[in-house]
Amino acid sequence: MESLLSFAGGPLFRLTFAVMVLGLLRIFILDLWGMFEAYGKAKDKKIPWKQALVRTLAWLLPVKKIPAARPFYSIISILFHLGIIIVPVFLYAHVRLWQKSIGIGWFTLSQKTADTLTLLAIAFGLALFAGRLFSRNASFISRKQDYLWPLLLLVPFITGYVCSNIPVSPKTYQIFMLAHILSGELIFVLIPFSKIAHILLLPLSQLVSLLAWRFPPDTDEAICTTLGKKGAPV
Amino acid sequence: MKVTKITKEEKERAFTSIKKPEVVERQRLPVRYHVEDHDTNDRPRRFLEAFAAILKHSNYRFALEHYIRMSAKCSRCATQCQVLLATDDPHDVPCYRSELLLSVYRRHFTIAGLVRGRLTGDAGLTDEKISEMAESFYNCTACRRCVSQCPAGIDHGLIAHLGRYILSEIGIAPRALVVSVREQLEGKTGNTSAIPVPALIDTLDFLEEDMKQEKGVDIKFPRDVEGCDYAFFPAVSDFLMEAESLMGIAAVFAATGDSWTIGTGYYDGINYGLFYSDRMLERIIKKLDAEARRLRAKNILIGECGHASRSAKYFVPTYCGGQDALPVFNIIEYTYRALKDKRIRLNPDVITDRVAYHDPCNIARQSWIVEQPREILKAFCKNYVEMTPNRENNICCGGGGGTVSIDEIRPYRTTIGGRAKAEQIRAAGCRYLVAPCANCKKQLRELVEDQKIECEVVGLHDLIYKAIIFDRQDGR
Repeated sequence: MESLLSFAGGPLFRLTFAVMVLGLLRIFILDLWGMFEAYGKAKDKKIPWKQALVRTLAWLLPVKKIPAARPFYSIISILFHLGIIIVPVFLYAHVRLWQKSIGIGWFTLSQKTADTLTLLAIAFGLALFAGRLFSRNASFISRKQDYLWPLLLLVPFITGYVCSNIPVSPKTYQIFMLAHILSGELIFVLIPFSKIAHILLLPLSQLVSLLAWRFPPDTDEAICTTLGKKGAPV
Repeated sequence: MKVTKITKEEKERAFTSIKKPEVVERQRLPVRYHVEDHDTNDRPRRFLEAFAAILKHSNYRFALEHYIRMSAKCSRCATQCQVLLATDDPHDVPCYRSELLLSVYRRHFTIAGLVRGRLTGDAGLTDEKISEMAESFYNCTACRRCVSQCPAGIDHGLIAHLGRYILSEIGIAPRALVVSVREQLEGKTGNTSAIPVPALIDTLDFLEEDMKQEKGVDIKFPRDVEGCDYAFFPAVSDFLMEAESLMGIAAVFAATGDSWTIGTGYYDGINYGLFYSDRMLERIIKKLDAEARRLRAKNILIGECGHASRSAKYFVPTYCGGQDALPVFNIIEYTYRALKDKRIRLNPDVITDRVAYHDPCNIARQSWIVEQPREILKAFCKNYVEMTPNRENNICCGGGGGTVSIDEIRPYRTTIGGRAKAEQIRAAGCRYLVAPCANCKKQLRELVEDQKIECEVVGLHDLIYKAIIFDRQDGR
């Protein structure tokens, strides 16, 4: 078990983390390239940069957006996001691992704060799952991944909480720790290939939509030629 | 925003199709709007070919790539759609509607989709799915209110726009729109209302005489004046149906003394290409620009019409010269500037009844024309009230996206599409509902008639015409 733990926490962690970073980098670059190309092809180069920035900031700090639609769901979603970002990044045990591994550390949460945030994240995650399950519109448009993601995201939180707060036998501890690490790594690997890619792509969204209405000129003839409709009546 | 859900009887009425069963069977297309006969063979393959051609030559691919990665299916958009709020049918969730096309893109135009299709034996696009898209994309009024509440920034309006475009390439588009565009681009009259030049001249002469009688001053509709400041393009239907709007605009110009003209070579601001085909959009914009250049006008001025304004404002630069394109203005911008510069005077004692303003989606959603009409109205209407929600967050009239021109779906438009708007109008209790858009005006008039609301739908310049003050005989 120990060698398995050491493998999961060592080489496998490095591999999955690299997959996540490189995968995200790939789609970020592809997105940027697509935007760059579209801008190059568009004849109308007047992009409302300020509007794009204001809209982007409004979604990065979405406090004002809460009352406009599904307020209860939106508050829970925002708090859930805060919990799942803050706890893993600023947990003392995680920062210590980074410090030991790459020599860089940063601000850490007190254990009590981390525990509270973890429990809240678990509660909010379950609420989001229930919200999707019991909202007719949400469940109608949901795919499998939409149900699975909140549950998968909760696994490292639940196992992590057990490891640091509940006295269990060493063997049980090791099992929970292994589940904690592996579930985290599974999340890393899946991020670039799923909707969670929004962790990096969200800041581009507003600009993408504004840019998408900037069409290239003279596509009428080109499309007619491709479809064999040249000279065809309306 | 709360909307009363439709009853079973209302639903039946709204979804009643007047199409003959044999036509539906022949076309294998159970949509409520009329479609011209077209090749129904191998439709999925032809849809995908059209999709591929459009992706190849347009700018849509990068946005679709972004959207398929981002879509979180949170359903916040569901709270914004006035169609969904009335029907309570999850098929009308904007995100569901977008997924109809995004799933085709994902399945047929991404490597992962192609591999998954092979592995799972998923044949991909079917005729049934094409039918569902044809129905769904025209249930949407393309108002884009849902876009503002999508955390992922997905522009469902853009996706519906693209979906309609692809469908039109395989012959599926509302006949009402296609016939109008055909007349505009290839017909004898060259405009969507089929008004020949002599009829136009007669109308303008008649209106000039009318204004002389009513206002006691010479107010002109200049024609084919070269080198003027503004080449004017209203929705051509205004010449038939919105005389007071046109007279109000002429009166404003008479007061300011700026030069403007109507070109008899082309006098239609309408661009239904925006609603179903980028190729038609391009051709119509080029026609409009050519007339403005023939007249050697310094600016293009669009009348009271939301989609005509948006299509000219955003696509004249695209198709006609980029940075060198002629500047495009909406008439409200012009009148607002004239009022601010004190070049027009409006009598505050003429309109004493309650007035409310309806924001046309195509000029309000992107914060283009929002405060200007309000400031104009507040300058002379004593009893001005707001409808809520308003401005960028306004509710569509229910006839957006070209659907107002599809007469056969009027029961749908006035029962479902316009239901939220009808409740807003009732709550406002206004005598005049100002809607500076030809499409909104038509839809709102049908809406208040069908919903039995006591209210007169007018243009902004209709009220200006009633209140404008002239001091001198020449109109200034």
